[in-house]
Amino acid sequence: MSKPTPLLPESDAREAALFFVVAALCFLAVLATLTARGTYTAAQAWSAQVEGEMTVRLSDTDRRGADEAASLIRGLDGVTRADVLSHEEMERLLEPSFGPGGIPAGVPLPLLIAVETTPDSVTTAASVTNTLTSAGYTAVAESHSDYAAEARRALGTLRVAAIGVVVLLTATAIAVIAFATHAALLARKDIVDVLHLAGAEDRFIAQLFERRFWTLGLKAGAAGSVFALAVTALIVFSAQSAGAQSQLLPQLSLDFWDFVILVVTPIAAGLAARTAAGGTVNHALKAVL
Amino acid sequence: MNRFRPDMTGEPAVELNGVSLRYDTADEVLSDLDIRLKPGSFTFLTGASGAGKSSLLKLLYLAHAPTHGEVRLFGLQTSALKRRQLSALRRRIGVVFQDFRLLDHLTAFENVALPLRVLGQKESDYRDEVVDLLRWVGLGERMHALPRSLSGGEQQRLAIARALINKPDLLIADEPTGNVDPEMGQRIFRLFVELNRRVGTTVIIATHDLALIREFDAPVLRLQHGLIVRDVEHQPA
Repeated sequence: MSKPTPLLPESDAREAALFFVVAALCFLAVLATLTARGTYTAAQAWSAQVEGEMTVRLSDTDRRGADEAASLIRGLDGVTRADVLSHEEMERLLEPSFGPGGIPAGVPLPLLIAVETTPDSVTTAASVTNTLTSAGYTAVAESHSDYAAEARRALGTLRVAAIGVVVLLTATAIAVIAFATHAALLARKDIVDVLHLAGAEDRFIAQLFERRFWTLGLKAGAAGSVFALAVTALIVFSAQSAGAQSQLLPQLSLDFWDFVILVVTPIAAGLAARTAAGGTVNHALKAVL
Repeated sequence: MNRFRPDMTGEPAVELNGVSLRYDTADEVLSDLDIRLKPGSFTFLTGASGAGKSSLLKLLYLAHAPTHGEVRLFGLQTSALKRRQLSALRRRIGVVFQDFRLLDHLTAFENVALPLRVLGQKESDYRDEVVDLLRWVGLGERMHALPRSLSGGEQQRLAIARALINKPDLLIADEPTGNVDPEMGQRIFRLFVELNRRVGTTVIIATHDLALIREFDAPVLRLQHGLIVRDVEHQPA
């Protein structure tokens, strides 16, 4: 005994178009979600890194005086590192301003001390400045977290924007699916009428469409997610190959939670399609006797 | 005259009391109809195109609700029924459409089995029954064919088989011979008569084929502009 033919005909061109639209929306949603996550992770990592860093600028002293000042700083509570930057380190630091040719001779430069503290350290930029000033140095200490605050705000805005894009894409997907289901229902009104007059209950007819669109949403969502996975892997691979990952760029990686997003998206698309289909069909059936 | 109420005892199979129908803001297509049909009766419904035949049938197979009045089937007031009860009542009605309304992607066998699939029955439960019915309407050899590969007469007989598979108490046919040649028309009418006489199914056939009506001994209900203008209890055979 062969398997009975489905009461709804196999998919047609309209469903192929809907498949593409849902897949594209899911692709964008996954990419936006991964970007939002990556942005958050990047912001957290970067903030944690710069939170305990400061730079001390010394004037009117020589290298020896700078080394003594660094020793003084190392003696403060919670300071894990205080090193005077070498000439090479200064050149690397100022390369964006002076180019790869190095710092021109005769340019007056202050001596800099890079300081790192523990996260719970009570030593602040102000207390370092005070300590050095009391010891007779002309010094100014600046915490990196001051500069990081603005970047953190920018990353936070980017993250909120990415979440907004995800929400917008999800809402669009649901609206498109609902619209497409309504069109499919109109295109198959003959079948719905025959089933209705044959005594099929509303639930029975709605379930036919719900099953069809659940499968469509699931497949389209999976296609979109797999494509997003491929694109993400390509970005990660390219970044790793170039070996130039910037801490300020979203950290696109592929960890456990990224895979959760990739699995959940098709299920969410399927559920959205199923819900939209059920609602649309039930609404349409209520309009007839 | 707007009444068709032959003498009867017991509950009518079909009862319309003061029924009117109007689509949206258009004029009434049916006006204040009073009709009673006995269980097991065989009735022709005739009238010119636009007289309201199809609209009356739509009320009877529960595709529309009347604008005014009451439709009762087998003693049940249809307007008082819930949606699930309406679905259950529809299963007691078989409908044959002029345009067949067969599902193109299903085979002849599957089209006939459709009302049973709707009920959740399995193919193993209904297979023999469907095959027997297809043989009865002369389609035993075409059960795996798709509707588009069947002739007009075969499609019509297939639609009749689908209408009968549920053993309906009421069979409604809208111009069942409209798309077939006269010989096939007579054959189809004989199927209806046989069903009515052997099983006792109440049959209502809308047709404007007066030549065929004259060949069968049955009451004729004539509609004109939404009104019953003539009923004849027994046309000469």
